[in-house]
Amino acid sequence: MVEASNAVVINGIIVFLSLCGIGIILAALLSNRMNPFGLSLVASIASVSVLLVGGEVLLSGHSVQTELWTLPFLGTLTFKIDRLSALFVFITGLVFLPVSIFSAGYLKRYLNRYNLKTFSIFYYLLFASIVLVLISGDILSFLIAWEVMSIFSYLLVNYEHEHEETTRSGFLMLAMSEAGTIMVILAFLIMAKASGSLDFAALRASAGGLGEVARWAVFLLSFFGFGVKAGLVPSSTWLPRAHPVAPGNVSALLSGVVLNLGIYGITRVNADLLPVSQVGPGLIVLIIGSISALVGILYAATENDMKKMLAHSSIENMGIITAGLGAGFVFAASGLPVLAGIAFIAALYHLINHSLYKSLLFLGAGSVDYAVGTRDMDRLGGLIKIMPWTALFFLAGSLSIAALPPFNGFVSEWLTLQTMLQSSAIHSAGEKIVFALSGAALALTAALAVTTFVKAFAMSFLGMGRSKRVKKVGEVRRSMIIPMGILALSCLLFGILPTYVVPVLDKTVAPLVHEKVADELVPPFFTVDKGDPKFGGAFVSEFHDLGAQVGRSYLPGRGLVILHRGLEKNPVVFAMSTSYTFIVLLFLLGGTFILVKVLTRARKVRRAAAWDGGIRRLLPEMTYTATGFSNPVRVIFNAVFHPSTIEDTKETVAGHFRTAIKNGRKEVHIIDRLIFKPITSFIQSVAVTLAKMHAGSINVYAAYVLIGLVLVLVVQRLLL
Amino acid sequence: MSKWVIKGLRTGIKTTQYPRKMETASGVSPGLPTAAKGTEKEVQELVFNCPTGAIERSGNQLTVDYNYCIHCFRCKRGSQSPMGWDYGYEWAANTKDSGANRGLGSAFNRSINIRFVDGGACGACISEIEQLNKPYYNMHRLGFFATPTPREADVLLVAGPVTDHMRLPLKKAYDAMPTPKLVMAVGACALSGGIFGPSFMSDAGVSELIPVDVAVPGCPPPPLAIIHGLLLAVKRKSSALLTSSEVRG
Ligand code: SF4
Repeated sequence: MVEASNAVVINGIIVFLSLCGIGIILAALLSNRMNPFGLSLVASIASVSVLLVGGEVLLSGHSVQTELWTLPFLGTLTFKIDRLSALFVFITGLVFLPVSIFSAGYLKRYLNRYNLKTFSIFYYLLFASIVLVLISGDILSFLIAWEVMSIFSYLLVNYEHEHEETTRSGFLMLAMSEAGTIMVILAFLIMAKASGSLDFAALRASAGGLGEVARWAVFLLSFFGFGVKAGLVPSSTWLPRAHPVAPGNVSALLSGVVLNLGIYGITRVNADLLPVSQVGPGLIVLIIGSISALVGILYAATENDMKKMLAHSSIENMGIITAGLGAGFVFAASGLPVLAGIAFIAALYHLINHSLYKSLLFLGAGSVDYAVGTRDMDRLGGLIKIMPWTALFFLAGSLSIAALPPFNGFVSEWLTLQTMLQSSAIHSAGEKIVFALSGAALALTAALAVTTFVKAFAMSFLGMGRSKRVKKVGEVRRSMIIPMGILALSCLLFGILPTYVVPVLDKTVAPLVHEKVADELVPPFFTVDKGDPKFGGAFVSEFHDLGAQVGRSYLPGRGLVILHRGLEKNPVVFAMSTSYTFIVLLFLLGGTFILVKVLTRARKVRRAAAWDGGIRRLLPEMTYTATGFSNPVRVIFNAVFHPSTIEDTKETVAGHFRTAIKNGRKEVHIIDRLIFKPITSFIQSVAVTLAKMHAGSINVYAAYVLIGLVLVLVVQRLLL
Repeated sequence: MSKWVIKGLRTGIKTTQYPRKMETASGVSPGLPTAAKGTEKEVQELVFNCPTGAIERSGNQLTVDYNYCIHCFRCKRGSQSPMGWDYGYEWAANTKDSGANRGLGSAFNRSINIRFVDGGACGACISEIEQLNKPYYNMHRLGFFATPTPREADVLLVAGPVTDHMRLPLKKAYDAMPTPKLVMAVGACALSGGIFGPSFMSDAGVSELIPVDVAVPGCPPPPLAIIHGLLLAVKRKSSALLTSSEVRG
């Protein structure tokens, strides 16, 4: 059994890697015109093989390990897939499959303008390196794969390289990513020094030997280092710049897969290799996560560029995930493994969901951009009549990301927020306050997310087209619609079947917290018998008295997610069930529809023009814009945005009469303003001060050399 | 500080009792001419003096067409045989088009939403209509409400002769209203064009554009007359006549 499963996994990986190789050769051979088709075909098959590998390990639970080859002086390159890797591998496949199909149509826009061969080659290399990052079992192969991944994601973002804006954003992305990598390398080196080996297993074994300072150093370096990839505050600034310039399908990969790698790194190091043993790091993670979420959504709510908005929202979602992880770390360090498990499940669930709906939304934004040629929501509008399928799937994505049941975002956000409420189990008042504030920040985030995506959908797809271009377009080709459909369907499925996802996640999390929580979280109330020793007796009998066991015969399976069932005496229950909600919703909707049809069957429908206040002609310019919709948020959070007004006044020669007054706003992102601006201006002022040394006189320079020499000698004398 | 509370309480309820009791306070209505009889000379003078041509004669009998009358008092003051004058206010009447709009059923008896359209009125009718929303006349107590959108409106209230520029908005508002609906024209201008129309830039009343169910004469009609019109629209009051009856004997 184990052997067979191992064979499946290893063969799967070999097939995947060879498909990537074949793809690269094919890309070089095929003409530019045929390349998108070849890419989508081979990459889809490769994604399926990745899905199989991930799914096999997730379900069977056998970790697979294999040694690749030994490098002289450095050590052995090993690949190891445990459940945590498998989960991320699975998500990677889940996102790559639809995105690869989508690319076939989308890349046509670059035909005759760019070399599509290079695009395909970068794409395969990125795909392969991402999978290798996730399955590498030692520092060396991890870092090699990580660097390859960073560079090829940069190259793909920088694909439209002749635009200055693109290059600038690409460089920023690369620079921040490399800075993060350096921190990660340092963290790994500290661990490797203690264990004397580069193998992850050895690091894990020797984790106990690290001192307090080293532990903190590893935590800080790895958290902020991987935080760059995950787009967490304060290193989130590259995200909203890289996304709008990247091709649509690359954006989907960037948000749906590459950001996950940051979370993977944080989880791998701080929950697996060197488990956080104190509350402090957990609180830092929690705070950073909450701030990222709030800052991300505030900028998303006021952004009018579709892709920039989605990028800011990615920061928000990564923040929510990180906050969940932080809560998990705190619970784990406080000796509450069950709650820690629930928090990790919430975080990982949100991670899956974010990958799904964010790639869906990016594909939607890409389709709109492909068809209309603009992503400015002020210029869009009325697309639902022209692109009904894109609109439908974008709506599904928006509902998911706005955390409305029965879509998937609701489940994970519910779990995360409920986890925050569980802080009552912690004793320290200070930690409780941090939890309360983070919970409040996350709740505000959730509310603003609804605003943001009401705006995103309504301003792009409803109402009147606010630019001439909108009228000329049509629906995108079918090969672009189907992948969006796949993702929308997955969003729905992950939303209505949490009771089947949670046990799988539980098995992923169990080795990290050494506790199984699936029965706590999705108890089999309908099938368990009265007096089962595993469940609180009184509680189950209460459920029985309510008639829960009746459902056994016709309910297909577990349908209820319960977060907390309290004590015997005080059985407070926080429960929800998207499965049942969905069934009830279907009945309600269907019933209402039939009722309305029956009641109004005798009536004739009279169609009249929409009431426009009686003006002669309602022009698109007169309708509500995205800017107008989000202005309340802009006004309320003025202190955060801190805009500076640019006034441009034209006066006549005499200066008495103004012919034109133009008022503009300029916003500097709060992170840039509060963190990077002071740093750069400090460095600049130091540089200016030091520049005074360059007096231009040869004698002074000679004196510097002399002083330097003396100093070196003195220091050497003192030290030796 | 809150003297106004005490003052308000001391003042008590000042809202009119109409339609439960007729309002008897002086000055609630300017009144309308009724009819007159006179010698040939007197009759000619009266007809000649009327600025809107509201007075019709048959022999030496004079009757008034309230579609036109602007109660300017020229036929009352300074005339040898003045017209009779009625200081009532229950003037609203059904028109010949009544029923063209599939009027409101009994379900609307105590709740109608009104959309007001100013079809180029001089402002007098508007300020009288405004009074309906104020404490003294307070139409809400009768179940009448103003609404900003014709989509929710049951009654379209129009004042003014309908100028060229207001023709389209009026038509749009009318089309946007769901059936059953009802149109009420308020004031001489809305009924016949009044002293403005028909002219180079206005119609001769609302009925040139859309069918009118209830007409409220007057220039402007006092608020109580408009309330009477609304009550007539929901059939809680009976219709008056748009032409005065002749003088007997
Ligand atoms: S009150 Fe009426 S009828 Fe008499 S003159 Fe004036 S408009 Fe004519």
